Amino acid sequence: MANSSSESPPSTHVAEGPPGEPRRNFLTSLLAMITGGIVGLVPVIAGGLFFLDPILRKRAGGASGLLRAADLSELPTDGTPIRVVLRSDITDAWTLYRNRVIGSVYLRLMPNGQILAFNDTCTHLGCKVDYQAADQQFFCPCHQSAFDLEGKPKNETPPRMLDDLVAEVKNGVVFVEYKNYRTGTPEKVAVQ
Amino acid sequence: MKDLLEWLDHRTGYKLLVHEALNEPIPGGARWRYITGSMLTFAFVVQVITGFFLWTAYSPSTQTAWESVYYIQHEMAYGWLVRGIHHFAAQAMMVLLGLHFLQVIWDGAYRAPREVNFWLGLVLMQIVIALSLTGYLLPWDQKGYYATKVATNIAGASPVIGPQIQQIAQGGAAYGHHTLTRFFALHAGLLPALMVVFLALHVYVFRRHGITVPPHAEGKPADTFWPKQVLFDAVGCLVVLGIVLYFALTRPAELTAPADPGEDFPARPEWYFLFLFRFLEFKEISQFGVAFGAIYIPTLLMGIVFLMPFIGRSKMGHYFNRGFLLAILTGITILTVMTLHEDTHNQSHQAKLKFAERDAHRVVVLAKYNNGTPQNGARELLVNDPFSQGPRLFARNCSSCHRFDGHDATGQLILKTVDKDGVKTKVPELETAADLKDFGSREWITRVLTDYETTFKPLENAGEKGKAIQTGEMSNWCKENQKVLTDPANADSLKALVEFLTAQGGRKDLGEFDEKLVAQGREIFKGGALKSGALSSSCTDCHAMTVANGTETESLSDGAGAGYPKLTGYAGREWLKAFLRAPGHADFYGEKNTMMEFTEKRMSEREIDLLVDWMTGNYIPNPSH
Repeated sequence: MANSSSESPPSTHVAEGPPGEPRRNFLTSLLAMITGGIVGLVPVIAGGLFFLDPILRKRAGGASGLLRAADLSELPTDGTPIRVVLRSDITDAWTLYRNRVIGSVYLRLMPNGQILAFNDTCTHLGCKVDYQAADQQFFCPCHQSAFDLEGKPKNETPPRMLDDLVAEVKNGVVFVEYKNYRTGTPEKVAVQ
Repeated sequence: MKDLLEWLDHRTGYKLLVHEALNEPIPGGARWRYITGSMLTFAFVVQVITGFFLWTAYSPSTQTAWESVYYIQHEMAYGWLVRGIHHFAAQAMMVLLGLHFLQVIWDGAYRAPREVNFWLGLVLMQIVIALSLTGYLLPWDQKGYYATKVATNIAGASPVIGPQIQQIAQGGAAYGHHTLTRFFALHAGLLPALMVVFLALHVYVFRRHGITVPPHAEGKPADTFWPKQVLFDAVGCLVVLGIVLYFALTRPAELTAPADPGEDFPARPEWYFLFLFRFLEFKEISQFGVAFGAIYIPTLLMGIVFLMPFIGRSKMGHYFNRGFLLAILTGITILTVMTLHEDTHNQSHQAKLKFAERDAHRVVVLAKYNNGTPQNGARELLVNDPFSQGPRLFARNCSSCHRFDGHDATGQLILKTVDKDGVKTKVPELETAADLKDFGSREWITRVLTDYETTFKPLENAGEKGKAIQTGEMSNWCKENQKVLTDPANADSLKALVEFLTAQGGRKDLGEFDEKLVAQGREIFKGGALKSGALSSSCTDCHAMTVANGTETESLSDGAGAGYPKLTGYAGREWLKAFLRAPGHADFYGEKNTMMEFTEKRMSEREIDLLVDWMTGNYIPNPSH
């Protein structure tokens, strides 16, 4: 049976490897490295692919189409912006949420009857902009981006104007097509 | 490059570390039998890697655990693969643990001076078992839920502080969010950390004493760990990986229905714990209480294992240890095989498993159909689903008289115990009403028309009143017309009549109705004229019937009055519901009725809707493939 029970080597002992045959050793080393590499990589690759799920797979479940935003009668006739929240059924990973708040927008009823709708997310880095009545502007508290009431930048901070959204009035109800866009870029690129 | 490595070595001394790790001498040369430890370590590393990735998508709460695992398994890219590897590598670990342990005992590698390392190994064994136990619960499915409940109840049966231990483990008096958060923290946090620490100690002490060389290898030239033994180890790991992948690719890791404290489950522990489950079933063991079989005896056995290094000092002692281990392994094998054998031959258990599988499959269908699970958890999908609840309601309310394909609709046979010469045996209970498996279908209606007496044969067990229906007017009509209806020349006529009657239920699960046939059938129903000959009396002579005619309704007949079932919308949702609520109503059997009335007291509106929707196929269809 076990031989070395009483005369095990001291921990400090470092044995030199036997000279062996260099070529055989090389082959063995190569095989050991390849096999070791395979067994190590397989779980990492499987896990890595799984981790890349957000870009490997198109997810369904985001809100799309026109969403009810407000009654037309709620909008001030002088063009003053009001902020409204939008609701929709959305699927967040596994959960299907019914009628969930998915964001908020500013609406303006223009004198010509046209509706202006802005996503209230600052195009700079994504904070929410506030309407400041005194200065007649949308102002972002994070980095002082300012936009006029048409959504145009008032200073150098934002890379582009506020993102306007498609709005429609049907039977006295304002509907908005809610979309989010990438922040920090001069171009308006929808995020899906 | 060389300079850089020199620089690094100067500051870290890594070369010595690598040298020590790889150039460990292996007296007697590299051997295949030394690979079990490395394989076990490899399996653990696989668990850490796949476990981390599963962690990125898992959500431990009673309303999200099953749901997130469902999402991993059925929606996320390669989720099934990562979970499959994790699932099967866990089982591989158990097998490898057994192998490694067996080898250590067999080769006497536990003896002086390796006692401490042996004990470290025993600690590692407990950690692996704890990992397996805590991991089993995390999907929060029926199987994990009930199996783990048994485990925590066993903990609760521990002497003195059992109840406290159970409450601490569960995070409360009952299973809930905190059971999951705690089990998860143990499974993904503390236990792996302990595992790493003890594994490091285990390897360190192992290195200190070196490998245990079998006698026949003594004196042979020594190798170093690198490269030959590393290659052997790597090949061993490749085999483990291959087997794990084989299982992961060929059978998805199981996910039963979401945990539901209101639904039972044929719970069994994972296969490597079946022996303990069976052991506790013995009357001789269970009579002493749960703690005796589940705690005292295993503790005693572990105690003996713990003392093995001392017992094994003598040759006899070593043989005792080997014998002891063999006895335990034999016992485990016998008990495991016994359980598997008994379960396979237990019709009721198999039926329960099959029904549980039906739930597991169904909830996935519903989640996919709804594009997600409800906020309150996926359990609700099943609770509100006619296909899932119908058979349960049938079993509870109908199966004392009716059968469904010979069973109670969930797969259980209806049995009664009879005492025959002092021997109690289970025999089928006589049914007293028709088997409703295909109620309302074309086949059903064909049978009712052409062989009424056989279709309702069970009624002969229902006393005089039952017999009166079975052999009554309809039965006589059937006998009079059997010949003409089954005449090959009238095959089309019968088909048309059946199509017309079947269409009345408006069921969507019976395929498209052939409008031409329906129209032909309607004439036969009214006038009784067949292609060859005619019915002795037409259906409308007795049965009342109103049919849809475009947007209007048209009365075909007022029937012969009370006691002749009205066939308007026959076997459809509304008809069946009204019938169940009051089968003795004049529209149905009237005074002839023998059936129980399912008033609101017996069955709520919701229950009757679920039952009727199931029986009439009014539910989200299962994809056919």
